[in-house]
Amino acid sequence: MNTPLSRRSLLRRSGAGFGAVGLLSALASNRAFAADSATGESVSGGLHHPPRAKRVIFLFMNGAPSHVDTFDPKPMLAKHEGDTPTGDEIANKNRSSGYMPSPFPFRAHGESGVVMSDLFPNLSRHADDLCVVRSMHTDVPNHEPGLLLMQSGNQQPTRPCMGSWLSYGLGSENANLPSFVALSPGLPVVGPQLWSNAFLPGQHQGVEINTNHFDVDKLIRNIRHPHLSRADQRDQLNLIQRFNEIHRGQRPGEAVLETHIRSMELAFEMQREASEAFDLNRETTLTREAYGDSEFGRSCLLGRRLLERGVRVVQVFYVNKKNKQPWDTHKNNNSGHETLCADADRVTAALLDDLKSRGMLEDTLVIWGGEFGRTPYAQIDKSTDLKHAGRDHHHTGFSMWLAGGGVRGGLTHGATDDFGMHAIEKRVHVHDLHATVLHLMGIDHTRLTYRYSGRDFRLTDVHGRVVDDWFA
Amino acid sequence: MFPFPLGCALRNVLLFVVASSFTVPVLAENPAAVEAESLDFFERKIRPVLVQHCYECHSAGADLVQGGLRLDERDAMLRGGDTGAAVQPGQPGGSLLLAALRYDGVQMPPDQPLPKHVLRDFETWIRSGAAMPKSTGSPAMVQPAADNPIDWDRAREFWAFQKPALHEPSEIDAANKMAADNWSERKLDRFVVARLAEQGIAPNEPAVKQVWLRRVSFDLIGLPPTFEQVEEFIADDSPLAKQRVVDRLLASPANAERWTRLWLDVARYAEDQAHIVGNNSSLTYPNAYLYRDWVIAALAADMPYDEFVRLQLAADLIHPDDPSSHVALGFMGLGPKYYRRNDLEVMADEWEDRIDTVTRGLLGLTVACARCHDHKFDPIPTTDYYALAGVFASTEMFNRPLDDSVETKGGQAKNPDQAIHIIREGKPHDLNVMIRGDAKRLGPQVERRFLSVIAGSDPETFDDGSGRRELAQALTDRSNPLAARVIVNRIWDQLMGAPLVGTPSNFGALGSLPTHPLLLDDLAVRFMAADWSIKWLQREIVLSATYGQSSHVDPVKSELDPDNQWRWRMPRRRLSVEAYRDSILAVSGQLDAALQGRSIEPDDVAANRRTVYSKVSRLDLNPMLARFDFPDPNAHSPGRHETTTPLQKLFLLNSPFLVHYSSKLAGQVVRQDATDADQIMQLYRRTYGREPNDDELQLAITFVSDCGDEGWKQLAQALLVSNEMFLVD
Repeated sequence: MNTPLSRRSLLRRSGAGFGAVGLLSALASNRAFAADSATGESVSGGLHHPPRAKRVIFLFMNGAPSHVDTFDPKPMLAKHEGDTPTGDEIANKNRSSGYMPSPFPFRAHGESGVVMSDLFPNLSRHADDLCVVRSMHTDVPNHEPGLLLMQSGNQQPTRPCMGSWLSYGLGSENANLPSFVALSPGLPVVGPQLWSNAFLPGQHQGVEINTNHFDVDKLIRNIRHPHLSRADQRDQLNLIQRFNEIHRGQRPGEAVLETHIRSMELAFEMQREASEAFDLNRETTLTREAYGDSEFGRSCLLGRRLLERGVRVVQVFYVNKKNKQPWDTHKNNNSGHETLCADADRVTAALLDDLKSRGMLEDTLVIWGGEFGRTPYAQIDKSTDLKHAGRDHHHTGFSMWLAGGGVRGGLTHGATDDFGMHAIEKRVHVHDLHATVLHLMGIDHTRLTYRYSGRDFRLTDVHGRVVDDWFA
Repeated sequence: MFPFPLGCALRNVLLFVVASSFTVPVLAENPAAVEAESLDFFERKIRPVLVQHCYECHSAGADLVQGGLRLDERDAMLRGGDTGAAVQPGQPGGSLLLAALRYDGVQMPPDQPLPKHVLRDFETWIRSGAAMPKSTGSPAMVQPAADNPIDWDRAREFWAFQKPALHEPSEIDAANKMAADNWSERKLDRFVVARLAEQGIAPNEPAVKQVWLRRVSFDLIGLPPTFEQVEEFIADDSPLAKQRVVDRLLASPANAERWTRLWLDVARYAEDQAHIVGNNSSLTYPNAYLYRDWVIAALAADMPYDEFVRLQLAADLIHPDDPSSHVALGFMGLGPKYYRRNDLEVMADEWEDRIDTVTRGLLGLTVACARCHDHKFDPIPTTDYYALAGVFASTEMFNRPLDDSVETKGGQAKNPDQAIHIIREGKPHDLNVMIRGDAKRLGPQVERRFLSVIAGSDPETFDDGSGRRELAQALTDRSNPLAARVIVNRIWDQLMGAPLVGTPSNFGALGSLPTHPLLLDDLAVRFMAADWSIKWLQREIVLSATYGQSSHVDPVKSELDPDNQWRWRMPRRRLSVEAYRDSILAVSGQLDAALQGRSIEPDDVAANRRTVYSKVSRLDLNPMLARFDFPDPNAHSPGRHETTTPLQKLFLLNSPFLVHYSSKLAGQVVRQDATDADQIMQLYRRTYGREPNDDELQLAITFVSDCGDEGWKQLAQALLVSNEMFLVD
């Protein structure tokens, strides 16, 4: 390629029509092909400004964790236990069971004094790395639209998700691996739309990996030939490429033929690279034990291996075989959170330890949270009693946290009211989260656009404010 | 942020006490003094708050002025935004600005309410007349749409809104060499020659016969020719040889199967929803294939395109007594249904899908852009959007029982397995404009009718039920300047490898201009005159000299026209995933050519029907389709992206599908009594419709020698995944 086009100018040009996008992908793969892929060099540092984070891993707690049991202590709930919440902001919810205090004590941790409940004995060691956001809010208290909004900035399913936008904006750091991977043990609620490229070109779709599997062959479709040895397949590929060369020799000037030949070669190399990247057995016993043998543990360990090898975006879904949204604790909220946090706490802390010890945390953004929060008041159905009370969906105030990747650790941002009902201070909408994540990755969310169906789309639509309080 | 030095703070606090204790006007009797006092109050108490909390979204400096409201000019404030005046001087109670600051209804600023004392300042300021200094010559105001009407006469001058007409391209001198290559015979070619001549480029030589036959076979039936068909065609010296081939291909049922997929991309055909709640399958479309079968049958019968469209929108109203025709309504009836149906906002999203599919798909207009504001570039006001949305709001999704035995509720089948998924008339009603697309903020009601730019300044309203029948008529009326052009452009794109209008679903101001406007218009008019016959159009195009050119890349012409927009060559094209998979099935002797019926999973090795019969899921698209550029069926697709990725190649190298059919292909040629060379010859005939050259033969012989069966399978696979298999010259 002798075209001196920057990725940035190409993205601008892609507004003009179909052609430039194809050129962009050709350019990206050609460049990666020409460069020494072992160096894993980025196509560009950032798109609009120098990035604070080079990669991101989003730990998504499907079903929505309870903020008042995790990161947002509300002593007033104990004082007013059983009182019916007032205010008419939440329609169609039965609030007659009244406020339900959290049974879990909260403590301040680290030098910064970031507060979390005793459900996080391990994560609390990393308190000074966390930027806890207590003032999140989203648009609706329903899983499907909530999940879609959190992943794609839109409640309906025809928009590219954040990982696809990042892949489109930043490209891949390793041409032998996809730039965006979604790790989930089975499909979460909503399913593949959560890693959909929608109208963005196909290579920006998240590659779905079912972490119920252990075998590399099952993790990635068609990663190995069913029975040919590598040497035999090399012989066969040599034959294919000789045929392709003869074919190309008869068709001078047709650039696309070369693209196919190279792509075939890349696929062959990728078999080795991906086999290695996806093989958890290459980790030490110590590391594997730190993450533990849960689905979430395997996903996070695999996620770290992929980030290390140049995957740009790793999306982890906290799902298990029995439950597509385990955090949806309509019943047994307390025991449910004990069980879930025991796993999530250990794994998340292990991931932060691991990233830190490898020097990766400073440019790896870690995000933790669900599609919304849970009600500060109890949900008690006919079939349950107070002991088994749950909490319902709650979208007007909830917590998430970020760490690494240029985020200010030890920060507690915003607040809900005394009862944890509504975010009232320094409110952060999902669009603001997206705008800020893009910013940390070196992208101006108002300028990463794609012309489709007659208009320029962006992740944040016409919304989104960068929350610069979070920057380190 | 505050434009005042800190030293003023104490004085401001003191003044604040004064100002809020006695309202401003009573302090002085001199009107000039009153005004000065008020302005001073504004500058001290109000403007700093506006600057800090409001101007990011509500001023001339905002990236996008929210709600159409600007608060940096008094006039703009008085005029207000979408919901009316922000401030009524003297009347704090009637001022929307104050209500919003109090979080009464609208909540501003959105992140948190301002302190109570600040709210009191605003109340004071408004009560005393909302004084504000005159503008100091800031840029022009943001005009509400009503103040900036569309100039319809000018708008209709845009090429796409002018009715297409016949044109007469110049003749080609009989002495010209091109005349010998049949460039003078067809009108289509003479238009192309005229454009090429302007650029000083000569078209390529005709393609050799074997190349032309392979090309036209893929284009018309989506399958390669057999070696016997190649030999027969090469031996046919008659000037009618090409016509005979085209007639045979157009008459084949495979023609409809291949072309159905184009329509299904336009119609965002799918059999389920993007989200399924739990195991709830009540919103899925298990019998969607009946609509696909209807499309195949309609195309096989060469149903006129205008009728084809009308039936898909209104078969129930056009043929009320012929329920079998109503399956055509799957065009709408298989559209996405979103979560939380019956919520007005969700239904408004569904109407947008219907409008988007109909207008981009059939008219090449992005009408859905006008849902929240008047179209920024095309003459499509928001009222036009809601005039159309009313038609879909008056229509219901309908699971019609398959037969009388089916258990029903409200006339619908209880279980979608026992239903045809179509639409029916709902309660006819007009919609109000939703201001900025917000279902809770209603503007004026709009009568159901067609788009103003096409229907004229006084369009007839749709009064017959929902108005679908009238809409269908308006969409396909011969006076509609877009319907024929749009489908002609799509078919040209399929056959010629690139459309005449580069944006097939956007003929508006932001779309591309046609490279050959006279050709497009002439073809569109002749297409309508040929009774909207798609087969007529296919024939017209594939028999042209333009189509018949070689795909040779001439370096000099490439320099002059690198994108081949003037059509000096045929582009080399990649097979769609459908044609590629079907070819593998065909050349390995495994293709089940049975027509129509239920869906298959295309990567299932036991499913050997054509790819058009693939199950299409909005939730979880089959990975083989997804990997090979099949469009997302959640929305209308204007055309397919083409990507080349290592993941595709992994499928070619390792998938059970390729391994299985390679083995089948090898099984077709391996004979104990035949020489290696003979068997290799057979392989080449089957896969590429030709014989190997010496180099290829030698490579293959070396590869299979001493390899046994496994070597033959690997050789077969090598041929199936080499570039020649899926790139058409």
